[in-house]
Amino acid sequence: MTRRRLRESLTGYAFILPATALFALMGVYTVGYGLLLSLARWNGFTKDWIWVGLDNYLDILYRDPALAPLVWDAALNTGLVMVGVPVLAVVAGLPIALALNRIRLLRNTLRTVYFLPFVTTGIAVFYAWTYVLQPQGSLNAVLGALGLGSLQQPQGFLGNPTTALPTLIAVMAWSSIPVAILLYLAALQSIDGEILDAATVDGASTWRVTTSVIWPLLRPTTAAVVLLNLRDALQGFQIFLIMTNGGPGGTTNVLGLQAYKWAFFSDLRPTLGLASALGWVLFVVAVLLAGVNLRMLRSRT
Amino acid sequence: MRTRRLSSKILATLAATALLATACGGGDDASGDATTLEMWTFKQAHVEPLKAAAASFEQQTGITVNVTAYTPDDVYKSKLQTAAQSGDLADVFEVHAAGEDFVLGGSGILADFASDVDGAWRGRFVEGVADAGKVDEARYQRSLKPEAPDAGIKTGQQFSVPLTIGTFGVVYANKSMLEAAGLDPKKTPTTWAEFIAWLKAVHATDATNGGLTVGLKSPTTGFNWMLEPLAYAYLGKERYQALFSKDPAKAWGSQDGKAVLDLYHQVTPYWTPGTQNLSIDDADRAFAQGKSAFDLGGTFTLSAIKQNGMDPSEVVYFGVPAAAGGAQDKLDLAPLALTGLSISAQTEKTDAALKWLKYLTTEEQAGKFAQASLDLPGTELGADLLGPDLGAMTGIFGSAADGAYDPADVSFFAPAYVDTQAGETLVRMSPLNQSDPDKTNRELGSIVATSWQG
Repeated sequence: MTRRRLRESLTGYAFILPATALFALMGVYTVGYGLLLSLARWNGFTKDWIWVGLDNYLDILYRDPALAPLVWDAALNTGLVMVGVPVLAVVAGLPIALALNRIRLLRNTLRTVYFLPFVTTGIAVFYAWTYVLQPQGSLNAVLGALGLGSLQQPQGFLGNPTTALPTLIAVMAWSSIPVAILLYLAALQSIDGEILDAATVDGASTWRVTTSVIWPLLRPTTAAVVLLNLRDALQGFQIFLIMTNGGPGGTTNVLGLQAYKWAFFSDLRPTLGLASALGWVLFVVAVLLAGVNLRMLRSRT
Repeated sequence: MRTRRLSSKILATLAATALLATACGGGDDASGDATTLEMWTFKQAHVEPLKAAAASFEQQTGITVNVTAYTPDDVYKSKLQTAAQSGDLADVFEVHAAGEDFVLGGSGILADFASDVDGAWRGRFVEGVADAGKVDEARYQRSLKPEAPDAGIKTGQQFSVPLTIGTFGVVYANKSMLEAAGLDPKKTPTTWAEFIAWLKAVHATDATNGGLTVGLKSPTTGFNWMLEPLAYAYLGKERYQALFSKDPAKAWGSQDGKAVLDLYHQVTPYWTPGTQNLSIDDADRAFAQGKSAFDLGGTFTLSAIKQNGMDPSEVVYFGVPAAAGGAQDKLDLAPLALTGLSISAQTEKTDAALKWLKYLTTEEQAGKFAQASLDLPGTELGADLLGPDLGAMTGIFGSAADGAYDPADVSFFAPAYVDTQAGETLVRMSPLNQSDPDKTNRELGSIVATSWQG
């Protein structure tokens, strides 16, 4: 019996061994490597790392007068993105999901249409948006044709420091709204119809049913939508790299982009450790956010 | 039972074959065919000219050269980094000269071939750039600072020879647009005021497409390519270099800084709309497509303009002109090595690699390369070998020893000075107009002062 159990255990371990080995190689090794790198000064090429302890963390957070302001400016922009994108995803995603859940005609077609931004999003789409938003791009042309010349941006929507960050937030939200719709639709279809019927029989209006019954029941989904978008807003930088490179004049620099610049665009200066340290700071913030979200989910469900 | 044994043998044979194949594949560069060289470049435009040279080189020597491009720059650097760690580097590289070559050399990725560069080979190169890939004492001393990226280099080592040369601070203008504005393209501006007058005249005829562009998405372009040459001509070498010094009375933030920024600010009304969001390639493309009348760049920009479909004969070009009343009446631009040819420290084919480098830098091959790529070669050539488009370009050059602006001279910057922040600060003044010269001057002063604290 004992021998049989041992054999079963070994078989079990044999099954998980490949996945464990892969995780050890791809996960633990790279994470450990990144952590060590955050304690060193290195440019990716020299033979030796110079160990600096926690200097990289202290420098980027407050100590270095050249580095810390960059990080805090980028943190402010990142914070705005973290507020703007989740809010837009919920504010636009929920009404569309509610509407799609009620209609019968063309429901599948419309679902496909609303989901298109998600399946098409990527580098090519960000380039396409860049062309749309240029001074001579189609958005300015459409605004002009509609008689809304006062809303046109002569420098382009990405060229004006006032409109650049809000525009990027809108483009990010555009690509994240489809997932929000999908999650809300799934949640709406899981609501027991009898609850809604009971509310209606009690005389509740459609608005009251939505705000007092459906919205509370969708709270866990909203928390998931917010968390997903917070994570993207915190760590994503591709859109900023491609569409503005942090410009104009540094007004759209975000933390993820700053880490990328220190890693790959610092004229081979030994700033990989700074990039790694900033990456770990972002990781800690992400973990804290996940903890807050988990607590919210627990307390409400 | 026999079937099981047979299966085991087949499996073992397959595994051994796979291992052997993997081993052979991985060791291709180190122990493979001695008559085949691998060359990597980061410039797509150089691939075809290099392949053409490789074809004739093979005919003469029997040595095959395979040329591969990895673009853009960050991809190339990552490729070098990972290949160096896995021992899978090419034999020969094109690298950014006078910077990247030292970083890679100090890291042990590039070979030091100083002893192979004899007087005859060195004598082929343009004066002033022949030793661009060689470590001098000043470079070595800077490499000892903690912030230096090229730690490990030693005085006298040589990690590259020049392949292409050029300079920054060259303005290109569309002839047709100049003529439409009533300007004579043959009489290019000789002073800053004349340049501003040209901008004003063309912009007045076409406010949408009649402006000046440069790839300000890389914010250092405006700072390095126009503000610095302008400051150098206006202040003279010593006062210009003092702008980046520790002395607050002479550095940015001083009256000298304000005077230069006032001049630069005169350009602000004439930028092409949205130029702050264009990459360098985008800006060159916009100019070639007639969306901008002026394009700020370097000697290398002519090649990009042609690649984007514009006939070089449709263009006039001139160096950033000096402002009247300054230290210099005329601004000459000293050539600097832009890219160099290097050899891997891991290759066992050093002799073949040296032959290839020497072949590429012969007058004949350098001439063919220049005409095909429209990039000025590091090899000294006559105008006949350069061709009509490039031949005239060399007129922009002057000698650093005679007072020409030398962008390769970075000896006066603080080791921790990073020009990106300075570039972004300048962009906020021009073209964004968010800041005036006074405020910009103070901010630049702060950036320079901070760089000396590092």
